Amino acid sequence: MAEDFLQVERLCKRFGGLHAVRDVSFSVGRHEMVGLIGPNGAGKTTLVRLLLGILRADSGRVLFRGQNLLGKKPWEIVSQGLALTFQNARPFARLPVIANVMVSCLSPRASKRGEWVKKIESRAMDALEFAGIADMAREPASCLSQGDLKRLEVARAIACEPDLLILDEPFGGLSPTETGLMAKSLRRLHKGGRFGRLHSEGPAMIIIEHKLSELMKIVDRVIVINFGELLAVGTPEEIVANPQVIEAYIGKEVD
Amino acid sequence: MFAYLARKIWRDFQGEILALPTRTILFAAAVALLLLPLVTDDAYLLRIVATASIFAVYAASWDLLVGFSGQTTLGHSLFFGIAAYTAALLNLRFGLPAFLTIPAGALAAVLAGLLLSLPALRVRGPYFSLASLAMPIILMGLIFSFPGLTGGEMGLSGISRLAGTRTGEYYFLLISMFVLTLLMWKIATSRTALIFHAIREDEIVVRVSGINTTYYKILVFCCSGFFAGMAGSLYAHFLRVVGPSTLDIMMSLQVIIWGIFGGVVTIYGPVVGVFILYPLLEYLRIIPDWRMLIFAGIVVVTLRFMPEGISNKFQDLLERQCPRCKERNIFMRKECRICCTDIGTCSRVG
Repeated sequence: MAEDFLQVERLCKRFGGLHAVRDVSFSVGRHEMVGLIGPNGAGKTTLVRLLLGILRADSGRVLFRGQNLLGKKPWEIVSQGLALTFQNARPFARLPVIANVMVSCLSPRASKRGEWVKKIESRAMDALEFAGIADMAREPASCLSQGDLKRLEVARAIACEPDLLILDEPFGGLSPTETGLMAKSLRRLHKGGRFGRLHSEGPAMIIIEHKLSELMKIVDRVIVINFGELLAVGTPEEIVANPQVIEAYIGKEVD
Repeated sequence: MFAYLARKIWRDFQGEILALPTRTILFAAAVALLLLPLVTDDAYLLRIVATASIFAVYAASWDLLVGFSGQTTLGHSLFFGIAAYTAALLNLRFGLPAFLTIPAGALAAVLAGLLLSLPALRVRGPYFSLASLAMPIILMGLIFSFPGLTGGEMGLSGISRLAGTRTGEYYFLLISMFVLTLLMWKIATSRTALIFHAIREDEIVVRVSGINTTYYKILVFCCSGFFAGMAGSLYAHFLRVVGPSTLDIMMSLQVIIWGIFGGVVTIYGPVVGVFILYPLLEYLRIIPDWRMLIFAGIVVVTLRFMPEGISNKFQDLLERQCPRCKERNIFMRKECRICCTDIGTCSRVG
């Protein structure tokens, strides 16, 4: 049931006078792929940062499998089964690519779920292989191109074997071909299965994205927020036809 | 059986040490230091080497904290001083022998590490540096305010010796230096050190990767404190005098000079730095008026031409990284000793 998995209730966050997130409530089901869209500055990134505990919410509740996540530390939330990729890829630039992923593999959740794999290198390698940058494993992360950095972010997130994966603009800065590839691999990840020594039960996903045409093809449901407030929730077809959403994105015709 | 073991050790020795020129040089230097008392019994020279080996442990522990996990502390002498004073007080007031006071001093430094990790969990960057700078000064103030117990400005003297003879002391210090730095090097190449590296690069991302950064930051402070504390209590027993100079700001700044001169994030870099700079500073006593100026000049000029530190510079000169498997090879080799890739044509990795 959707109510049991992730439930966000009346979440609020203020930066001084700015209401970055105001009374946002929504829920995500275990096997859903949800798009989170909105114009620039709508509060999408703030919202997911609240979920991961990087920022502290002012009020509201976030229930994940019935447990409140607010007030917990980011690493506790990650061990519950959430994972986040950053919008501006933030690699550990001076470490090799594989070491970037090994850090995730060292987390308590990853080591508990993959006890039978003795070598974390091989698990990290599998995550890289899934993301498609296994050939760069020994290069320092500062060598990677923008597209590969996005892949590294994904590899890092799936190395924790999350149940809910939050992707902050996974297609940002990618060429149309790369975008298509990335969309495909996300879809494949969502279906679940075994990728080498990584086991994926098919994480639910929240995808923040501006490339709507690509996003609409892969998600089941879309949440739109504007000025920190929930604007609309619905299937991609409904959202595309919603006049309020169109107004928020491209404005209103002036008579 | 013994023949087999001997062959295995010889093979490992060939593969791990003789294959790389920098390791060969370090090994040769270590052997030379071990053989030094057989060649000369110049007490002054032996004393300099022994003191340098204490400071080598101290500098390497600084590297573990600042180089690896990026917690730029300016008050590293806190660990050194607190351990020296603990060892001295336990030895003088309770009459404990050196083999008990040295671990006790290190333990005190671990507690100091816990104390110092409190501000480190809350403030970052330059603010933490300033907070850490204050710690040894506070401790020094405490020492001055209880002169009855701590000896005040005069310090404590009459601490028992490490070993009966001068050569015994020399070997004790040298071998503890080898053991402690090897231990630190082991820590620095372990999985845990990977997290220390990652914390230096980007702490938020480490948190979101599901790592409890609080735990690892406290851990690195305790580790570094332990090794600096070992150095401090060895120092107390070697000099047999402990004064407020062990907590001095000079003590904290010197270790930075040694570390950066030798090359950070290597563990052996600061050790090399100490073994070059400390004897150099002593040697310059032949011209006392110009001593500090010449010393500073040498350091500045060296860092102008080798900003990455002397050990890293020599490693880059003598060895070349294989572009494929990232293993290091001696610069003459045309192909990688591990994966046989042709490396003769590619340029040096800087």
